[in-house]
Amino acid sequence: MSTSPDNILEISDVEVVYDSVIAALHDVSLAVPRGKIVALLGGNGAGKSTTLKAISTMLASERGKVTRGAITYDGVAVKNQTPAEMVGHGLVQVLEGRRCFGHLTVEENIIAGAYSRKLSKADIKAELEKVYGYFKRLRERRKSQAGYTSGGEQQMVAVARAMMAKPKMLLLDEPSMGLAPQLVAEIFNIVQELNKKEGVSILLAEQNTNVALRNADYGYIIETGHVMLHGAADELMNDDKVKELYLGISKEGRKNFRDVLREESASHADLHHH
Amino acid sequence: MTEILFFIEVVVAGLLAGTMYSLVALGFVLIYKASSTFNFAQGAMVFFAVLSFVGFMELGLPFVLAFFVTILLMGVVGFFTERLVLQPLMNESEDTVLMATIGLGFVLEGLAQAAWGVEVRRLDLGIGDFPIPWIIESTGLFISALDLTAGLVAATMIIGLALLFKYTKMGLGLRAVADDPGAASSIGIPLPSIMLMVWTAAGVVALVAGMMWGARAGVQFALVDLALKALPVLIIGGFSSIPGAIVGGLIIGASEKVLEVYVGPFFGGGIEVWAPFVLAIFFLLWRPEGLFGEKIIRRV
Ligand SMILES: Nc1ncnc2c1ncn2[C@@H]1O[C@H](COP(=O)(O)OP(=O)(O)OP(=O)(O)O)[C@@H](O)[C@H]1O
Ligand SMILES: [Mg+2]
Repeated sequence: MSTSPDNILEISDVEVVYDSVIAALHDVSLAVPRGKIVALLGGNGAGKSTTLKAISTMLASERGKVTRGAITYDGVAVKNQTPAEMVGHGLVQVLEGRRCFGHLTVEENIIAGAYSRKLSKADIKAELEKVYGYFKRLRERRKSQAGYTSGGEQQMVAVARAMMAKPKMLLLDEPSMGLAPQLVAEIFNIVQELNKKEGVSILLAEQNTNVALRNADYGYIIETGHVMLHGAADELMNDDKVKELYLGISKEGRKNFRDVLREESASHADLHHH
Repeated sequence: MTEILFFIEVVVAGLLAGTMYSLVALGFVLIYKASSTFNFAQGAMVFFAVLSFVGFMELGLPFVLAFFVTILLMGVVGFFTERLVLQPLMNESEDTVLMATIGLGFVLEGLAQAAWGVEVRRLDLGIGDFPIPWIIESTGLFISALDLTAGLVAATMIIGLALLFKYTKMGLGLRAVADDPGAASSIGIPLPSIMLMVWTAAGVVALVAGMMWGARAGVQFALVDLALKALPVLIIGGFSSIPGAIVGGLIIGASEKVLEVYVGPFFGGGIEVWAPFVLAIFFLLWRPEGLFGEKIIRRV
């Protein structure tokens, strides 16, 4: 696969191994075109987080290693960089589970996101205002200790914090996890806005296939470290297999969704984890 | 009346001595917060720092220059600790890192003695261990000038460090790393430079404590054990709490002096060496997470 300048991110035939033995990804290839939102879908343990961490180089601190294949971000081969260096190049990962700094205030959390940049006090103020423009809820909560805010607010803090690094590309790991539908919608609206107005390219890992595909341009579905299917978001939404396995809209819509996923990951456990 | 005055004198002397324990405990807390490890080398760092300081003075460096050269040296120690010990062990368990700090302690003790020799040195800060006349006149209390200086220096440093962590960028970085190193790393906070800062700060704290203690009792190996009094301080205050380190230090300082004076005679004296540890054990039974601590201590 030759790299195209239209893609901000290209991954080809990547294999990832944890602890030198456990293979988590086998041959994952995907591309994120500049300025687009691409969804990475799959159930528990499919390899979504592993893929994102391979890109952000966060793998190294979890004893994980890319053992085959190539990752190219913004024309540069991702090899032995540190996460801090990747942030310097404009690639920021928002980790699964929000991971706010619980003892810091909401505003301190957000300001910490600008750590990699050399900004004056005035610059930071201006950047904060801009971020609060997107995350209006956070402005009211800015003096609160982040650990005491709601799950939705913490997810917003995590994304707002990442935005302070002035990213060209965000890797979002399950932003909908554990949140009520209207909060999920609110967060995805902001993500859409950031994508449109700030031109941030986004790779979005999600188990919530429905919401992810509705907000993405393109999607990849992975299972046990293999890409099973990929295509434009609307095509995937109309694909029969996706409908049945991932969208659960055979009869009752959302109600079935979790069950299908759970069944599906349970059968995986039978097949591949003994 | 004189009884009460005497009691106050004992408590005040204890509190002033306690600020120094607070300061050393603060060194532990910083490293504990940043890397979740108990730094067993802190005592050795005290010895290494002050012995080097005295050594530089003996080489003819003036006081201030020797002070800053030693701080630089502690920065170098921090740098190599980060590079050669912490980074290679990044993915290892916290217990492995704990072992490594014990090893680091031996290395520092050995290095210090190899470089500067083993004999006890005198350190004259120009402040005598005698009561201050104007305090005697105004209150009737006998308070040692050295105690008072040590207390003020420790208090100033503690306040300075607290302000640094609250209001500077580096401080924000440290607090972020203390909360969640993975998340801090994901937004581009470079863990190595935070570790370097923390170890250097712990080195400065070690130097100042070593100077104050060395001025009273001589610069000698026993400083390593003195610094280990930070352990009961941390058990009482909580391992991850800066206010805990401060309050714990004051409690240990005051109670060990009171115990020494009023209970010591029944044991033939010298109980302040071990009384804090006994106190800490009782405290562990009552409140294992410490006064201000959040986490249960797992590895003591
Ligand atoms: N640090 C690790 N050490 C060893 N194995 C790991 C590690 N992290 C993940 N794995 C394994 O790698 C595989 C992929 O995990 P990964 O976390 O990437 O899945 P995921 O798609 O993000 O799942 P989820 O939706 O539950 O977050 C799983 O089998 C998992 O057990
Ligand atoms: Mg995951």
